[in-house]
Amino acid sequence: MKLLNLAERLGLVNYRNQSKSQIKPHIVVDTDICNSGCPHKCTTWVCPANCYTMDEENKVHFQVEDCIECGTCMYACDQGAVDWNYPDPEIGRGVNWNFG
Amino acid sequence: MEDKFDCIVIGGGVAGLAASMMLAKANMKFLLIERGEFAGAKNVSGGVLWGHDLNKLVPNYWEEEDGGWERFVNHRRLTFMDEQSTFSLDFKSSHFNEKPYTGVVVLRSKFDNWLAGKVQEAIDASDYAMDSFIATNIKVDEVLMENGKAVGIKTGEDEFHADSVIIAEGVNNLLTRQVGLQDKYVPADHMLTGIKEIIRFDQEVLEQKFQLNGLSGMSNEFVGWATDGVEGGGFLYTNRDTISLGLVIGIKDMREKKRSPHDLLNHFKSHPTIADIIKGGEVVEYSAHVVSSGDSRAMPKELYKDGILIAGEAANLLMNAGKAIQGMDYAMRSGILAAETIIEAKEKGDFSAATLKNYRSKLDDSYVMKDINNFQDAVHLLHTDTMQNKVPNLVCDFGRQFFTIKNEPTPKSEKMLLGAIKRHASLWELLKLGFKARKSL
Repeated sequence: MKLLNLAERLGLVNYRNQSKSQIKPHIVVDTDICNSGCPHKCTTWVCPANCYTMDEENKVHFQVEDCIECGTCMYACDQGAVDWNYPDPEIGRGVNWNFG
Repeated sequence: MEDKFDCIVIGGGVAGLAASMMLAKANMKFLLIERGEFAGAKNVSGGVLWGHDLNKLVPNYWEEEDGGWERFVNHRRLTFMDEQSTFSLDFKSSHFNEKPYTGVVVLRSKFDNWLAGKVQEAIDASDYAMDSFIATNIKVDEVLMENGKAVGIKTGEDEFHADSVIIAEGVNNLLTRQVGLQDKYVPADHMLTGIKEIIRFDQEVLEQKFQLNGLSGMSNEFVGWATDGVEGGGFLYTNRDTISLGLVIGIKDMREKKRSPHDLLNHFKSHPTIADIIKGGEVVEYSAHVVSSGDSRAMPKELYKDGILIAGEAANLLMNAGKAIQGMDYAMRSGILAAETIIEAKEKGDFSAATLKNYRSKLDDSYVMKDINNFQDAVHLLHTDTMQNKVPNLVCDFGRQFFTIKNEPTPKSEKMLLGAIKRHASLWELLKLGFKARKSL
C-alpha cells in the first residue's frame, strides 16, 4: 500500500466552512515569541497538520486553515505563544469527522 | 422569568451523553450543548469502548440491526515490534462472544451520534420532553459564575442558566481551566498525540484477513519499533469494513527528539508486518487528537466545585496500564456518576460543593479511580525506555532465534534468552523490571 504524504492525508479531511473566504482563526500564535527567543520552535514538527512552518530564515509562520483541532500545539508550546481555542461553528474552520 | 435548567452538560462525547442519558431517565430538565454539527462530529478515539456500562445506558444495544458500534472484541493481541519482526501475545476466545460484550470497537462520529439519538428518545419519554434539549453547533465561551458558584453558561451574546454544570468538554479542557480547576497552561509531560488513519477494505476481504465471524472484531496494541524510539505505542482495531490504525505518541518526547507524528505513522505503516496487514486497503480518513497518559499528576486539582462537576477526558480520566487503553469507559462511568450526583443534589435542593463532592467519593469508590490509583506504577513503568525499546527488541531477538531452524545443533532456549537479554539490556535491568512489573501489574 502506498504511503500517503501529509497533503494527501489532509485532502481527506472534511473541513467546515470551506466555502467561506473569510474565517475567524480559532488559534492565535504570537510568532514574535517563536522568532525572538524560543529554543526549539517545536510546533513546526509536532503539529499533525503542519500548520506551523519554518522559512529559510528559520522564522516560524502559522496558518489555521488546515488545523484539525487536535490540541497538540497547546501543550507542545511551553513559551506562551499559542492562544488556543475551539473554532466558532459559524465563522471558524475546524473539522467535521466522517469516521472519528 | 426565564427558564432555568437543573443542569447544563457541556460536550456531546461519551461522558456528556452518558450523563445526559441518566438525567433524562431521572426526569431532570437539562440542556446538552455540543459545538459540532452533531454529537461525534468533533470526536476522535482509537478506539475500543471496554466494559458493560453501555448496556446500562442502552439495554440490549446489540439487538439493533445497525447500532452505533462497529464490532465486538473477541480477539486481543499485544505485539512487540523490532525493525523486522513482531512477537505477539495473542488471545482469542468464544467466551467473549457472550453478551453483554466486554468491549466494542467504535468510530466516534457514528457512535456518539447514535448514542445522542438514544438520549433524545429518553428525553422524549421524560416529563421534560419539551423542555430538555440537545443543542448542537454551539460553542460555550464561558461558564457563568456568581459568588463562586456556577449559574450557567455563555455563548456569544446568549446566556443559559442552570443550577449545575457538568463539564465534559474533552481533554482540551479550556472551561475546566477557566473555572480554576486546572492550570491555564498544562505542560506536555503527560500528554500524548493520538494519530490515525481509517483504512477501508471490501468487507469480506477484511473479515478474511482478520478471521472475523459476523460482527466479531480484533484489537491489537503495539510497542517498540512502531514509534521509533519515541514514547508511545501503536494500535489496530477492526471496524465493519475499515480498520483504525494509529499511534499514540508523547508530545514532550516528540518535542525533544524532533519527530513529527505523521512521519512516525508512515514509519509504523512501513513495517513489514503492518504493510502485509494493510495491503489492498484505501485510506479514507486521517485524524489526530490529544489524549492524556493516565498519569494522575496531570489530572485537574479537583473534579468539583460549587455547581460544577468535571467528567471524562476533561478530568484526564484515561489509562493504559499495559492491558488496554481505557478512556471511553471511564468517560461513560464518570458521566453516569456525575449525573447521579446532580440528581441527588436536586433532591436535596443543594448544588454546592458540599453536596457535589459526593461525585468525587463515588468516583474514588468506582473501578475508575481505583484502577488509576492502583496502576500508577504500571503507567510509569510502561513509559520507561526499558519497556518502550529494550524489551520489544530483546523479545523479538529471542523470537527470531527460537523460531529459526538452521540444520545446526540448537542451543537451549534459556541460553537464547540470556543472549538476547545481554544484547539489548542486562540481566540486572530485567530482574529489576520483573520485580517492578510483579508489583505494579
